[in-house]
Amino acid sequence: MSCGQHFKVAIIGGGPAGIGVAVGLAKRGIGPVVLIERRAEVGGTPMGYRKKPGGVPTFVEWTRGRVVFGEELAGRMAKRLAKTDTTIRLSAQVTQIDPAEKRLTLLWPEGVCDVTADAVVLAAGAREQTPAEKGWLAGARTARVGFTRHITGWLDGHGLLPARKPVVVGSDLIAYSAAAKLRAAGSDKPVMIDRRRSPSAGLFERLFFRRWTRPDWSGDVTAAGIKGDRSAAGVQSSDGQDWHGDGVMICGELVPNTELALLGGLAVELPSRQLQLARGQALSEPGWFAAGNVLGGFHGAQWCYFNGRQAARRVANFLE
Amino acid sequence: MTQFGTWQPKIRGKLFYNWPQGACEEALRFTSAGQLGVEPYDVAIVGAGVVGCGLAYRLSQYDLRVLLIDRLHDVGEGTSKANSALIHSGYDAKPGSLESKLLHEAEADWPGLAARLKIPLDPIGGIMMAVTDEQERQLEAAEKNAHANRATDVRILSATEIREREPNASPDVRGGLLVPGESLVDPFMASIAYAEIALANGVDILLGADIAGVELGQPPGAPLHHLVTADGHRLPVRRIVNAAGLGSRRLADGYGGGAFDINPRRGQFLLFDKSARPLVQHILLPVPTAHTKGVLVAPTIFGNLLAGPTAEDLPLEDPAATHTTVEGIRRVVEGGSRLVDGLARQPVIATYAGARCACSQGSYVIRHNDGAPGIVTVTGARSTGLTASISLARHLIDGMQKELGLELSPDSAALDCRPDSAWPGWWRRPFENGATDARADHGCAVCFCEVISGGEIRDALDSPLKPRTMDALKRRTRVLSGRCQGFDCQVPLAEIVSGHTGIGIAQLTKNGPGSELVVPGQAEVTA
Repeated sequence: MSCGQHFKVAIIGGGPAGIGVAVGLAKRGIGPVVLIERRAEVGGTPMGYRKKPGGVPTFVEWTRGRVVFGEELAGRMAKRLAKTDTTIRLSAQVTQIDPAEKRLTLLWPEGVCDVTADAVVLAAGAREQTPAEKGWLAGARTARVGFTRHITGWLDGHGLLPARKPVVVGSDLIAYSAAAKLRAAGSDKPVMIDRRRSPSAGLFERLFFRRWTRPDWSGDVTAAGIKGDRSAAGVQSSDGQDWHGDGVMICGELVPNTELALLGGLAVELPSRQLQLARGQALSEPGWFAAGNVLGGFHGAQWCYFNGRQAARRVANFLE
Repeated sequence: MTQFGTWQPKIRGKLFYNWPQGACEEALRFTSAGQLGVEPYDVAIVGAGVVGCGLAYRLSQYDLRVLLIDRLHDVGEGTSKANSALIHSGYDAKPGSLESKLLHEAEADWPGLAARLKIPLDPIGGIMMAVTDEQERQLEAAEKNAHANRATDVRILSATEIREREPNASPDVRGGLLVPGESLVDPFMASIAYAEIALANGVDILLGADIAGVELGQPPGAPLHHLVTADGHRLPVRRIVNAAGLGSRRLADGYGGGAFDINPRRGQFLLFDKSARPLVQHILLPVPTAHTKGVLVAPTIFGNLLAGPTAEDLPLEDPAATHTTVEGIRRVVEGGSRLVDGLARQPVIATYAGARCACSQGSYVIRHNDGAPGIVTVTGARSTGLTASISLARHLIDGMQKELGLELSPDSAALDCRPDSAWPGWWRRPFENGATDARADHGCAVCFCEVISGGEIRDALDSPLKPRTMDALKRRTRVLSGRCQGFDCQVPLAEIVSGHTGIGIAQLTKNGPGSELVVPGQAEVTA
């Protein structure tokens, strides 16, 4: 990619939402389009959930009415992307944006490079909230305090169990799926704690994961600390409740990856880091759009894909 | 332009990890005292915090056999790693005290020192802000005290002058004190840079070795002592400097050192995201009370904003000395919000706690021939150890010459500076400033928050101190320390470390044995 190249549309992020945008634009014959992905493969978060016998399928494919492994779902999306003329840049990270000029600065294996576009779609996804962001969880900074992404990274990537006696912090669908994955891989029955009185995952979702585990639930934890010297040894609440373990998994409660927007000067609400939308999926600066989990909340891979398709429609309208 | 990640010239010292079944290569593993040679060391420094490393750096300028030893698996890993990352001007020290003298000397040293160590220093200055009438009345005394400490550029500011300089200052601000001598620094790289130069100059470094006792030699003359590690290695030494920080009491008991009482004073901090950085232009300090200096709000050299610390005295050996608490963090937010408007709505990325070495006998207790001839105890660096590390090193060497009969002859081959090739450092990027020798892996980001490439991590692994833990890499490259706190990069980072060093991925640790990233006793299953 020669520096200073201009595209009709630039998409930041190659997960389900970004792929949805690229596919939607291709169907409308809009191009050239560049999709910029910071990892070495497209597919985003679901790609880390590898398909394997005895594993826990956690991604709902609504269009086919079944539950599958993330890799299958994201793989099918990636195939659709491959059929388009989209320019795909892997291991390329957008480090800076200039909203008014619609200019992106990238770091990629050939160096630092600028790209401009007539429209830009932010499809940067989300990450899990850190203990500091939660505010109610403090304590020791030890090894084996991890996120769901680490569970998939260690388990699906290396066949290593990040904790044998896991304490799962959080209670949404992601937390339940994490607990199920750990249990299916041979951990003890997970302990699950949260600030909420009852789990935030719905009854149906909890019933689904019962096939693998029924975590020991404790709610209403108002203030707690991670215990341990060099490695996590569990969690202790300020009122003396004690959950023993050999790893603490911080699961769910997504935070949108809006730092490019925030540091670049697009309107972002603080401290929630939510993008401020002008209307629809349009951001505060004309020509900027967002799709998928970067919009906030927690949505499945297929929702993000179709939300990307919808963003493509809005981009097409803008470009006309 | 020097090639990235290649330290030139030659490293003359030896580096070992005392890490029996651990995550380091065979060549770095310490298995017997013989690896360090049979000749006794002229000086052994126990404690590779910023004080120990600074002393090793200064001693490395002379023709001496020096050993730097620590129980942890990197330098600067204890008290030195969690602080407010500032160089103090000493304006608020007790006039006439040793601390005041050391800080005054060090303030003049730092700009040149930072250039020699090749670490970033930003002299942005501080403002002490009075937010009540009572605090405003204390400003004059504080100004007088500063002038008595030879900080003659300190002066009182009106509320209007403060608002001009700090538009986001609390509406309650009544007045303040301008303290131009305060600077931001990279606290981690200070210890690392000192130790790298020392190692290059021939200082031997042994990490992961807990000193369980000292076998004292018999006078007359300079007796030959032995340091004994917890796993039984005996290291012959002529002189010992106890710079073990919070471990100094236990070590001093091993050689019959004089009475002093230390305890960890816990300081909890809150780190805000880079979006908060423009809120503040100076280091904002509260008016101190009799108990504590209070919660300050300061930018970091890394581009974040910091608030803290608390000051909680805990008993020695309390495992909670570096734990944060929900209550403590709440107090930091409250304290910071008294100085800066809108601080509470800024996104937080991390909280941490450091344990300062508080000593009831005052700051900087130094004893020569303590317990036995040839032993120096230095303790109680409390909160100014980083700043004073350089002047303290000179002071200690003077003392050793006078009291311990240490003879100094300059080593003409010794480096005084870290060479330009002493990269990596997060502030110098391979693809910036027209650098032409960057490799493709310098363009592949692993840490997305701070934009750190795989190439930079490999270069850090190859740097002189051979960092082998995740925390050691974090302090050098800033990987794992961005807003996602390792969400995206922990596993890819481990893959790079394992791939580059040949250490099994299941053996990798956060900060040494017992901190394995996955539960121990597993073998990797490759797909």
